[in-house]
Amino acid sequence: MAEAQSAQSIRRSSRAGSSRKPKKNMIPHATVLIILLVAFAAYLITKDAQVALFWMTGACFGFILQRSRFCFTASMRDPYLTGSTSVTRAVLIAFAMTTIGFTAIKYGYYVNGLPIPGQSYIAPISFATAIGAFMFGIGMVIAGGCASGTLMRVGEGFVMNVLTLGFFILGSLLGAYHFGWWKLNFILKGKAVFLPDIFGWVGGLLVNLLIIATLYILADKWENRKSQSEN
Amino acid sequence: MKEVMLDCLGEACPVPLIKAENALKEIEAGDLLIVQIDHSCAMKNVPEWARKNGHNVEIEEVDDGEWEVVIEKV
Repeated sequence: MAEAQSAQSIRRSSRAGSSRKPKKNMIPHATVLIILLVAFAAYLITKDAQVALFWMTGACFGFILQRSRFCFTASMRDPYLTGSTSVTRAVLIAFAMTTIGFTAIKYGYYVNGLPIPGQSYIAPISFATAIGAFMFGIGMVIAGGCASGTLMRVGEGFVMNVLTLGFFILGSLLGAYHFGWWKLNFILKGKAVFLPDIFGWVGGLLVNLLIIATLYILADKWENRKSQSEN
Repeated sequence: MKEVMLDCLGEACPVPLIKAENALKEIEAGDLLIVQIDHSCAMKNVPEWARKNGHNVEIEEVDDGEWEVVIEKV
């Protein structure tokens, strides 16, 4: 790795605790795994093409998540803990790109007079959202990963996240079981907002991007402010 | 020059970072702090934090999915 080569200036007197084992070549393992992944996808296509697509995109997403060390938990936690907002800004850029992408897809359906896909995901805003987000935030910092992060680290073989996964499933089941009550008493009392209805398609896109840009600038300012006060 | 080993194996993010922050306060300038980690997330935020504070950082992958972050206090 480039990182290890560039910083060889540190000389260590001892090699205590780091008895270097020769690393196993993982390429054969990876090749077998990819063949199995594709073979299972080929089997799934015979059953349900959509499930096969989810299987392959899920595997790719997990791989990218692991290699890029993209972490939604870190994006929310590191600004407080270390003053670093590099992951926060990466998440904001991802949000901006998805905003453009899904607006394009929705607009494409709209101009062709087709029903707009994904409109059922426009959920009403209520206090339940804010309280739930707060609780999720506490949980994900203690557990060391959000939903995608936990799944990715289980794949990495990090044992603590296997425990998290168990309680993640338990919590999801409880949440799904009680969701009807929450929906009836809290969520439906809020107001659902679809930005293109209010600002028009271009306006809605611009408002969303403007909010993201503002957050990005704030994140950038926060990082510089922190580093100036510390040094 | 002193070398301090900090065992953070099995610790999830952000525990290694907080442990490293505390351990770095204890040592003198020029001493080395070696943080042993096996959580891929700590691989990112421990070096980033140390570099931001001006320390010299080196990462060694000692085994598959196991790293040592060597921090030289400035």
